[in-house]
Amino acid sequence: MKYQSQAVAKPYFIAAIGLFVGQILFGLILGMQYVWGDFMFPEIPFNVARMVHTNLLIVWLLFGFMGAAYYLVPEEAERELQSPFLAWALFWIFLIAGALTVLGYLLVPYAQLADITMNDLLPTMGREFLEQPTITKVGIVIVALGFLYNIGVTILAGRKTVVSLVLLTGLVGLAVFFLFAFYNPTNVVDDKYYWWWVVHLWVEGVWELIMGAILAYVLIKVTGVDREVIEKWLYVIIAMTLITGIIGTGHHYYWIGTPDYWQWWGSIFSAMEPIPFFMMTVFAFNMVNRRRREHPNKATVLWALGTAVMAFLGAGVWGFLHTLAPINYYTHGSQVTAAHGHMAFYGAYVMIVLTIISYAMPILRGQEASDPRSQVLEMWSFWLMTVSMVFITLFLTGAGVLQVWLQRYTEDPQPFMVVQEKIEMFYWLRELAGAVFLIGLIVYVISFFVKGGERVTIGSSDTA
Amino acid sequence: MKKQDLPGDFAIWIFIFAELLVFGIFFLAYAFARAANVELFNEYQQHLDRESGAINTVVLITSSFFVVLAVNAIRHNAAQLCARWIGLAVLLGGVFVYLKLLEFGSKYADGITLSTNTFYMFYLSLTFFHFMHVLMGMVILTVVAVKAWQGAYSAETHTGVETGASYWHMVDLVWIVLFPLVYVMH
Amino acid sequence: MSEIFTKSMARNIYYGGSVFFFLLFLALTFDTSGEVPKRDNHEAIDEQVALGKQVWEENNCIGCHTLLGEGAYFAPELGNVYKRFGNSTDAIIGFIKGRPVEGIPGRRSMPQFNLSDEELAAVAAFLKYVSEIKTARDWPPNIQG
Repeated sequence: MKYQSQAVAKPYFIAAIGLFVGQILFGLILGMQYVWGDFMFPEIPFNVARMVHTNLLIVWLLFGFMGAAYYLVPEEAERELQSPFLAWALFWIFLIAGALTVLGYLLVPYAQLADITMNDLLPTMGREFLEQPTITKVGIVIVALGFLYNIGVTILAGRKTVVSLVLLTGLVGLAVFFLFAFYNPTNVVDDKYYWWWVVHLWVEGVWELIMGAILAYVLIKVTGVDREVIEKWLYVIIAMTLITGIIGTGHHYYWIGTPDYWQWWGSIFSAMEPIPFFMMTVFAFNMVNRRRREHPNKATVLWALGTAVMAFLGAGVWGFLHTLAPINYYTHGSQVTAAHGHMAFYGAYVMIVLTIISYAMPILRGQEASDPRSQVLEMWSFWLMTVSMVFITLFLTGAGVLQVWLQRYTEDPQPFMVVQEKIEMFYWLRELAGAVFLIGLIVYVISFFVKGGERVTIGSSDTA
Repeated sequence: MKKQDLPGDFAIWIFIFAELLVFGIFFLAYAFARAANVELFNEYQQHLDRESGAINTVVLITSSFFVVLAVNAIRHNAAQLCARWIGLAVLLGGVFVYLKLLEFGSKYADGITLSTNTFYMFYLSLTFFHFMHVLMGMVILTVVAVKAWQGAYSAETHTGVETGASYWHMVDLVWIVLFPLVYVMH
Repeated sequence: MSEIFTKSMARNIYYGGSVFFFLLFLALTFDTSGEVPKRDNHEAIDEQVALGKQVWEENNCIGCHTLLGEGAYFAPELGNVYKRFGNSTDAIIGFIKGRPVEGIPGRRSMPQFNLSDEELAAVAAFLKYVSEIKTARDWPPNIQG
């Protein structure tokens, strides 16, 4: 660790992993409720478990992004973080606010939570992913501003690299687009139009800049390939992201009361959204192929390559499968959406955070790379989680295709609940895959506490 | 030992590829939509200003020719001449923009929008998207012209000129497909 | 004239491309904002509908249902429930009111929200308003949502 203040990344990473475990536990509850309908009802109805699951996801990813920034920015800027104290303070504020919000979801009926938190003053509650009370949202903005100030000043007062500037742009974009969460008109078409300025322009926009920057940073570190090469490709990738993704927002504007021309504009541009993910895959494999060193952290290299591939499959390919308007007409709001959503989020964002943690955590704990036994377990967890996620996605795709066949693409459509019963087998299989995912996550957590094993160096006469 | 390289910067060719891809898909979509609405497309195509489109085609081809002369000039180290040819190309680009604005203005005055019908949706989308590329191309060429005037390029090093030229040729090429496709063929 | 893969060219394309498409997106947004009032059924938005949206949000209906295809996929699409229930706000009210507190054993269950008569009428009016938004191709494809 070259700069002392990089140490603040550690609590952020630990919180991220802790919240990740919480997210998956609630994911398993949800998966159970799909097949055992009143599981935990009425204490934890489906919608409450869901908002806990999705909000934990977003918050832990944000902790991961912030940890990544605190780790890599001092090194890139070649100066200590502007204020480690502020980073610590914001850590506790964000963690406590997040915990209180989740407790609020669980302990109190949602309508009552709205009442207690004075939602009436500026109603922003009750929309998907934006269930947080208005005061929590205000808190998020304050934490974000503090974080951006801290990171921003560090970068601007130090050595500016493409990696840090792209990361900063992505993070600023994240904060700016979050402001649209405060715009909640009564007009449902308007509401939906601008809601996507938070969600799409996040995950198919500025978050890709964050992901690209972190991936580029990790590749520079583990491959030793010339920074100039990697940074050029980063620019090309993010250019394609925004060139395709901005108008690509239109693939959410097909059926919500917006004009018909979005079916054309949205289809054409969103069809090209896989391109930056494809480029990221080629880029990652290319850089590793051209590496100038054998980095001792093998797990990180695996995560980095895996991220690119899974992001391409989940976000790129699965996204493409249902992005064209004539197809989306039938699949909109079905299990096909859930299938894509899970693999996309896991592949792109879960995995990039796990990649940077894989790289940085050993260093934060005093080693260049973890002991071999730890790495082996970590790599096992990679495969367990990744393969089980692929199966979750396949099962939900199966569920979705059958659902669309029975409920939408037919002369004799059957009611929603009837169809749900008919696709139950897929949900059971999904839950099984989800359980394997949890096992993978447990192995992942254990890997941090395991030591030992023989380090094999190239040219050594010892065999492993 | 140098292979025959693509003129200009490699990165620009990735983007030219992407540009051609998106226009290509748009043209294919147009073909699709037309096949499903032949009468509608034929009828409203009559309302387009073909003369203006034809003049604009000549304008763009000529400006592309000037750009070719500009690249030739810098290859012979004639930086000032290069800048002047590019300037003329930009001027012609301005003519294109002016004629296009008149065309859009006329349609707007008739109350025609993206939502009027599928033909007009394609006509306006394609031409406006292309129009924005012409503007972008003019910006790029202007920057190149200024740099050429200031002596930034020479016979040995003029990648920027070739890159800007390639972009402008692409914009021209797109129009050469767009005009017959949308304005003429029925 | 060599194949220099310059970082600054890539950077310029990133800047230029982003600005270009951001402007284009704003232009399309501007056009959309002019078109939407012709199809968004805003004439139906009165105080009751506004209250209905508030009740919808405060009880997080989107947490189980979809509305115009967006939301959660646990329970049926409600964008067209007004039509599915025979163009009846009473039927909607009756359904919400009738949810058993302890749920239906073994089946996906909807909470009893203990809404007042005013809130029930408002939510039903809200769902009626949504069902009459002119969605493209009359989405959803059929009455089942």
